[in-house]
Amino acid sequence: MSRSRRIRSEAVAAWHSFLRRRTAVFFTFFFPVILVVIFGALVRTQPTDGGLFAEPAAYYIPGYLATVVLFTPLSRVGSEIARHRDDNRFEKLATTPLTRGEWLAAHTIVNVAIIGLASLLILGLVLLLTDATIAVSNSLVMLVPFVVLAVLLFCGFGAVLGRVADTQDGVIAASNTIALPLLFLSDTFITLEQLPEWFGPLVALSPLTYFARGVRAITYAPAAGEPYLGDLAVVAALAVVFLVAGAYAIPRTD
Amino acid sequence: MDEAVVATDVAKRYGDTVALDGVDLTVAEGEVFGLIGPNGAGKTTLIRALTGTTPVDGEIRVFGSGPTTVDADRIGLLPQSFSPPARLTARELVDYYGGLYDSARETDAVLADVGLAETADSWYETLSGGQQRRVCVATALVNDPDLLFLDEPTTGIDPVGRRALWELLESLADGGTTVVLTSHSMAEVQRLSDRVGLLQDGQLVAVGTPTDLIADHGGRSRLVIGTAASESAVDPLREAGFAATAAADEVVVDGVSPVEIGEAVSALAAADIGYDSLTWTEPSLEDVYLQLTGERFEGVSTPGATALTEGASEEADEGAVAGGDR
Repeated sequence: MSRSRRIRSEAVAAWHSFLRRRTAVFFTFFFPVILVVIFGALVRTQPTDGGLFAEPAAYYIPGYLATVVLFTPLSRVGSEIARHRDDNRFEKLATTPLTRGEWLAAHTIVNVAIIGLASLLILGLVLLLTDATIAVSNSLVMLVPFVVLAVLLFCGFGAVLGRVADTQDGVIAASNTIALPLLFLSDTFITLEQLPEWFGPLVALSPLTYFARGVRAITYAPAAGEPYLGDLAVVAALAVVFLVAGAYAIPRTD
Repeated sequence: MDEAVVATDVAKRYGDTVALDGVDLTVAEGEVFGLIGPNGAGKTTLIRALTGTTPVDGEIRVFGSGPTTVDADRIGLLPQSFSPPARLTARELVDYYGGLYDSARETDAVLADVGLAETADSWYETLSGGQQRRVCVATALVNDPDLLFLDEPTTGIDPVGRRALWELLESLADGGTTVVLTSHSMAEVQRLSDRVGLLQDGQLVAVGTPTDLIADHGGRSRLVIGTAASESAVDPLREAGFAATAAADEVVVDGVSPVEIGEAVSALAAADIGYDSLTWTEPSLEDVYLQLTGERFEGVSTPGATALTEGASEEADEGAVAGGDR
């Protein structure tokens, strides 16, 4: 009861703080929107011409979702830790019963809510602005655990990043540096065939690869029937690892 | 009386900088302990050490436990440079921090205690600096702590708000709350503290009640006579047995009790020397601070006491003051 009360209190404060930073809200949702508009509606996919975006539009749904699943938790949790440190909030929190794990849990819950909404927005836009169709099956419901677990994973990653980078600027720079290559080299927007053969094993090292492959198996008709539980298990295992590491990384002292 | 805080041989370095150097400190339950000292003396580091928010060498016990394992419900902290989320209202902030404890006081009551009942629904970032500081104090009080650490609690708060906060802290102390506070306001520390510790260069150089510290280090009461004839006024006063020293447009007479003021005035009148003003001051904690830290500045007078200039002190040491002590 006490634990849930503490997490709820921290999450409510974080949620209100986010909603009242209008620019943060705007750009959190604007970033994936503009990506869908540029690549999905303006550039458009060209299935027969080869090169980038040579696959059908629905192939890239995991990539569009990855923009929010990856960028938002990394930058938000990392920045929040930098902000807390700058304002001595961790010093204050260290003398309350709130644990570092509970703090991360609260902020992860907020990110799950924000990214859940952003993901719905992206799916709607992809269907509205492109000729993509989502494979409707019972498996579609598994999209939810994929998104939630991936958010957990990258919230943990963001916490580690927030610990390592000592300023908000540093967090943003570091998260962009890490997230951009991950976004494009995790079987999201660029297929394995378009990459050098030797790069294949490196793609397997990216946590986002398992998210992308799993989501594609659920949402992309040509990939329907491909196993995704293995990908889900990998994402879940990595989420646990990164959350534990993230909770441990959150500063308690100076 | 049980001990709320026991610190033994606490030391802390930041690289080559010594922040704390073998500090021993005991604070009894229900006591208000004031920490004073120059900037960089180690006050904030000591507060952090006692609250377990910075690792230190030495041993610290808080209610018999380590500072990081003590029951957090019993502790309240106001860090020195602390800013809560800026776009929450004062009420939401108190609710937020209260929600982190198993039980918390009523939010409205806490806000009323710090004088923010009227502005409870304003965002933190729209409040004045003093109001913001009062919100921060409220977040330290919300769990009704047994031990309250306040690092410069009244910084930026106007005189009325400061006095209200003093009364609040006095009522908490009367109710048995142990308080460890730091401040650069000697009046604040003198008024609130049962005992005071002076930190300098990471060392606790003096600890005692304000009364004892003033008696030991504050010097004597003093009469300052504003007169254009300061040089001429010295001799009659010395002949009357006063330790008088001439300065620019004033004569400083040390060791004058209130009942002796009339005698000094009579001595001046007998010599037909007029004066513009008479200012009698008794030594305060500020004099103790200035004496022990060696931070007296020439020409600076301080509230509640007139600080001797460095030159005047040297003059006195060299025997320029005739007439001896009374």
